[in-house]
Amino acid sequence: MSKKANTSLIMSDAASRRQRISSLLGQSILFLITSLSTITVFFIFYFILKDALPFFKAEGFKEFFTTARWYPSGSPAEFGALPIFVGTGLVTLGAVVVAVPLGIAASVCLSDLLPFNVRQIVKPVIEVLAAIPSVAYGFFALVVFAPLLQNHGGAILSAGVWIVLGPLIALLVVVMGDLITDKLRDKMNPKTAGAIIFPILGIAAFIFLYRLSAQLSGVEISSGTNALNVSIILGIMALPTVVSVSEDALQAAGRELREGSYALGATRAETIIKTIIPASISGILAAVILGVMRAIGETMVVWMASGNASRIPDPWYNMLQPVRTLTATIAGDMGEADHVTGSSRFHVLFAMAFCLLAFSFIMNLVSEIIVKRSRKKLGK
Amino acid sequence: MTEEITMKKIDTFAERSDDKKPRKTHIEAKDFSLFYGDFEAVRKVSMKIPKQKVTAMIGPSGCGKSTLLRSINRMNDLIPSTSATGEMIFDGHNIYAKNIDVVTLRARVGMVFQKPNVFPKSIFDNVAYGPRLQGIKNKQKLAEIVEESLRNAAIWDEVKDRLQANALGMSGGQQQRLCIARALAIKPEILLMDEPTSALDPKATAKIEDLIGELRKQYTIIIVTHNMQQAARVSDLTAFMYEGVLVEFGKTKQLFTNPENPQTENYITGRFG
Amino acid sequence: MRLETRKLLDKAFSGLGLISIAVMAIALLLILTPIVWRGSKAFVFKGTIEHRRVMLEQFHRGNAEKFNKDYAEVVAARAPIYDMLTDFEAGTEQRVSSIETEMDAKKERAKELKAEARVLKREGQTEEAEKLEAEEDRLKDEAKALKTQISELKESRTEPLESVIDALQELFGPMPGQRTPVLLRQQYGQTRWDRTLVKLHEVLYTEEWDYSNADAMGILIEKPRIDQFIGTEMESFFPYLEENISEMMQPRRTFYWQFITDKSKDSHIFGGIWPEVLGTIYLTIGAMIFAIPMGVIAAIYLCEYAKEGRIISFIRICISTLAGVPSIVFGLFGLAFFLNTIQVSDSKSVLAGSLTLSLLILPTIIRSSEEAILAVPRAYKEASLGLGASRWHTVLTVILPAALPGILTGIVISMGRAAGETAPIIFTAAVSVGAPLKLWQTLSQPTPALPWNIYNLCTEHEAVDEIRHVQYGMVFTLVAIVLLLNLGAILMRARISKKLRG
Repeated sequence: MSKKANTSLIMSDAASRRQRISSLLGQSILFLITSLSTITVFFIFYFILKDALPFFKAEGFKEFFTTARWYPSGSPAEFGALPIFVGTGLVTLGAVVVAVPLGIAASVCLSDLLPFNVRQIVKPVIEVLAAIPSVAYGFFALVVFAPLLQNHGGAILSAGVWIVLGPLIALLVVVMGDLITDKLRDKMNPKTAGAIIFPILGIAAFIFLYRLSAQLSGVEISSGTNALNVSIILGIMALPTVVSVSEDALQAAGRELREGSYALGATRAETIIKTIIPASISGILAAVILGVMRAIGETMVVWMASGNASRIPDPWYNMLQPVRTLTATIAGDMGEADHVTGSSRFHVLFAMAFCLLAFSFIMNLVSEIIVKRSRKKLGK
Repeated sequence: MTEEITMKKIDTFAERSDDKKPRKTHIEAKDFSLFYGDFEAVRKVSMKIPKQKVTAMIGPSGCGKSTLLRSINRMNDLIPSTSATGEMIFDGHNIYAKNIDVVTLRARVGMVFQKPNVFPKSIFDNVAYGPRLQGIKNKQKLAEIVEESLRNAAIWDEVKDRLQANALGMSGGQQQRLCIARALAIKPEILLMDEPTSALDPKATAKIEDLIGELRKQYTIIIVTHNMQQAARVSDLTAFMYEGVLVEFGKTKQLFTNPENPQTENYITGRFG
Repeated sequence: MRLETRKLLDKAFSGLGLISIAVMAIALLLILTPIVWRGSKAFVFKGTIEHRRVMLEQFHRGNAEKFNKDYAEVVAARAPIYDMLTDFEAGTEQRVSSIETEMDAKKERAKELKAEARVLKREGQTEEAEKLEAEEDRLKDEAKALKTQISELKESRTEPLESVIDALQELFGPMPGQRTPVLLRQQYGQTRWDRTLVKLHEVLYTEEWDYSNADAMGILIEKPRIDQFIGTEMESFFPYLEENISEMMQPRRTFYWQFITDKSKDSHIFGGIWPEVLGTIYLTIGAMIFAIPMGVIAAIYLCEYAKEGRIISFIRICISTLAGVPSIVFGLFGLAFFLNTIQVSDSKSVLAGSLTLSLLILPTIIRSSEEAILAVPRAYKEASLGLGASRWHTVLTVILPAALPGILTGIVISMGRAAGETAPIIFTAAVSVGAPLKLWQTLSQPTPALPWNIYNLCTEHEAVDEIRHVQYGMVFTLVAIVLLLNLGAILMRARISKKLRG
C-alpha cells in the first residue's frame, strides 16, 4: 500500500507546532464564544449598576426603600419606591399562591398518575401555556379578564371559592370524619357513628362555604385592573415552569423508592406524600423559586393589567386594589424619562432594575445550589 | 506474582514458536499501564502482536482487555483523566509519545466496536467517510474504494442496489459488517475488534467470523471477545487477561488445550469468570 | 386509619391531581378561545360597502365596475335618509320664517301703534295714547316671546339634528355634498357590520349617565332619539334607518386575509398589520442570526471540548444567571449598552433590538443544543475518531448532523420566544407607528412590532374601542406565529424520538 509510506506517525516539529497552535487557537476562539454569556452577565451587571449608582449617590437609600411617595416628575421629585416594592411582592405572592399548589399537584399527576399516552397529550398543553407571549397574556388580562372582574367580580370570587376550596374541604371532611369515627370505635358501632358524624361535618362545611361565597359575591370591584387579576394571570404563566421543573424532580426520585414504598403496602397517595415528595423536596423548592423568578420578572402583564397605582393597598394584602410593580414602573416611566438622561428620574429606573437583577441573581444561585445538592444526595 | 511469571512466558514466546517463517512483530506493548484516574485498568502489560495474524484477547469482564485494545489506537483519550505509562510501539514509535499524530494513528489502526455504530447517513456515505477524510474527492475513486471495501466485508451483494439508502435501515449483522467495511475503507494495517459479535445473533456472528477468516490474509486483527469458542475458532494467538494483568499469551491451540497458568485453565474450563 | 379511608384518600388525592390538570387545560382554553375566536374576526367578518370602498380607493383592490353599481344602490338607499334630514332642516327654516313673519308683523304693528300713540299724545289725547302704548307693549312682548320661540325651536330642532348628523357621519361617512374631511377615518363610514350595528345604535339612542347615587358608579341610561323628533319630518327617519340599514351598507361575508399583508391606514383604523408583522420577522431573524452561531458553538464547546473544572462550572452558572435575568432588565441593558455606549445606531433600531433579543435567547439555545449534542450516541463519535477523523471534523460531519433535529427544535422554540418578547424591544427597537422597513433600514431605524403594538393599541391608541378587531387580530397573529413554531418543534421532537426508538 502506497499510502503508508507518506503517512508517518511522527509529525514533524513544524507540523506538530502548527497543529498545536491551530488547535489552541481554535479552542480559544470556541472558548471565547462560549464565555460570551459570562461576558454578557458581567456587562449587564456593570451597565445597570453604572446607571443605578448616580441615583443612590444623589438621593440616598432611605427615601427609596422606606417612604411611600412616588412622584418622580414632581418638583421636588419624590422617589419613595416602597409601594412599588410592596406591589411587586404582592402580585408575586399572589402568583405563587396560584401557581405552586396547582403546579405541584399537576406535576405529581404527570409523573405518577397519568398513563404514558395521556401524558403525551397533557405535555403540549403545558408547552403551549409556556409559549404564549406575555403580551398576549397581558392583552387577555386587560381586555377580557379585567372587564369581567369589574362587572361580575362578586360572582367570579364566589365561584372561585367553590372551585378552589370545595375539593379541599371535602377532603378535610372525609379525613376528620374518619378520624373521629375511629376514636369513637370503642363506644359506638362505627357504622352508626359514621352515619352521624359525616353528615354533621358535611353540612358544617357546606354552610361555611356557602356563607363565605355569599359574602364574597357582595364584593364590588371598582377596577378590574388590580393585583388579583395580575396574580392569577402571572400564576398561570408561572405554572409551566413550576410543573416541568418539579416533575423532573419527582421523576428523579426513581423507581426503586416508589417500589420500596408500594412493597410495604402504601397506597399511591401515601407513597407520593410520604416518600417521593420528601425525597424530591429540593427540586420542588427549586421549581418554586424559578416560578417566583418568572412572576417577578414579568413586565407586560403587570404593566397592562395591574392598574399601575403607586400606593400601598389598604390593608396591604387587599388584592382588589390596583398596584404597581418594579418592572411596570421601568417600562412605563422610561418612555418619559429617557429624554432626561442623567437625571435622577432616569437613574432611579436603573436602580430598580438593579434590585430586580440582584434578586433574580440570588434566587438563581440558591436554586442552582439546591439542585446541585439534591443531585449529590440522590447520587446522580 | 503472576506478573513475573507472565513476563517470562512472553519472553519465551518467540523462541517456542514452531512457525518456520520469522514472525514480524506489528505492535508491541512494553510495560504498558493505563490508568483511569487512580485506577490501574491495564497493569504493566508486555506483549508482541504479530503481523497478519488474528490475536484474540479473552478474560472475565472488567479484566482490562477492552481497555488494552482501545489503547492501541488511543481511543481511551476520549475518557477524561486517563493516563498511560510504559510504551506501546507501533511502526517503530511509541504511540504515547508527545509528537504522535493521533489522527494518523487512528487512520492506520482501524476499529470495529461492540455495537454496530453506523452513522445515520447513507450506506455509501458511511463507507466513504474515511476516504473523504483523507481528501479523496474523486467520485469514481470513492466508488471504487466503497465497492472494494464492501466486497472485502462480504456485504457488497446485499447492499449494492441500495447504496443510497440510510444505513440505519439494515439489520444488526449487516450494520456490523458495514462498520467493518467502513474501517477497511481507510486501508488500515491493523483492525481492532471490540467484541464485534456480542450484539448479534448466531447467524450474523457466523458471517462475521467467516469474514475475519478472510481478512487475516491482509490485516493484523486484534479481537476482544467474551466467547471462548469464538476465540478458539477465529484466532491464531490468544491472550488471557485477568484484573488488568496479561496472564498468558500463546498460540490459541496450545492455550486452549494445554494452558500453562492455572488461572487460565480455571477460566477456560469455566471455573470462574 | 382504616384501610377504606386510606383508599378513599388515595382516590381523593388522584382526583386533586386530575383537577389541577383540568384547571390548567381550562385556563389555556379560556385564554385561547377569545383570542382565536375574536382574532379570526379580523380576517373573516361581514364587511360593508365602506370596507369595499376603502379596499378599492386605498388599496386598489376589487372590481371597480361592480363596486360602482353597488355603491349607486347604496347611495339610492341612503338618499331618503338624507332627504329627510334636508326636509327637516327645511321644515325648521319654514317654521322659523313663519314665526319670523308673524313676529315682524307684530313688530311692524307695534311700530305703527307707537307712531300713532305719539301723534295722539301730541294731540293731547293722553288716555287714548296710553291705551295704544299698552297695546304696543303687549305686541312687543309677544314679538319677544316669538323670538324666544324661534331660539327654542332652533334649540329643540337643530341641536338634536346636529347630534344625529354627527352620529350618522360616523356610521356612513361624510354627508353628500360635504367637503372631504382631512382625516382618513372621517372619509369613510363603518367598514364592519358589527361596528355598523354599534354605530346604528348610537344614532338611534342617546346615552346619559345617572350620577344621582354618589356612592355607586354612574348608571347608563339610554333614551331613544326618536322621542326628540315626534311629530316632525324626522319621525320616520329612525324606523326607516333601522329597517333599511343593510341596504345602506350591503354587508357581505368578507375574507380579508390581506389583513396580514396590508399596511395600516390612519393608525390602524383601516388596513392591516404588515409593518408590525414585518418588524417582528426582522427582529426574530436578526436575533437568530446572532444567537444561533453563538449558542450552538458554545454548546459544542461545552459538550465536546471543555474539561469540567472551575471555569466551566462558572460559565454554566453565568448561563443560568443569564436565563434568569428579567426581560425588562435586558431592555435596559440594550438601551444602556447597545444604544448609549457603543451606539450601534443613532436611535432605536432593529439591529439594537435584535442584539438584545439574541442575548435573551442565548441561554435557551445553548441548553437545548447541549441536550441535543449529548443525546448523540457516543458510538458515532468513537466510530468517526476511530476512522482517523479529527475532533473538529467529527463534530462537523457526525455529531452536528445527528444532533441537528434536536438543535433545530430548541432554535424553533426560542424563535417563538424572540417573536413574542416585548420588554426587551421597548427601549431598543419598537415604535408605535411606522412604515414597513426595507432590509437595509433595519440597521438604523426602529420598527413597529406585533408585541409592542398590541400593547400600544390596547392602552394608548386614541380610539381603543373602535379597533378592538385589529388588536385581537394582532394578538391572534402573534399567538398563531408562536404556536405554529412550537407545533413544529413538537412534531420535530416526536419524529426524533420515533427515530431513536425505531
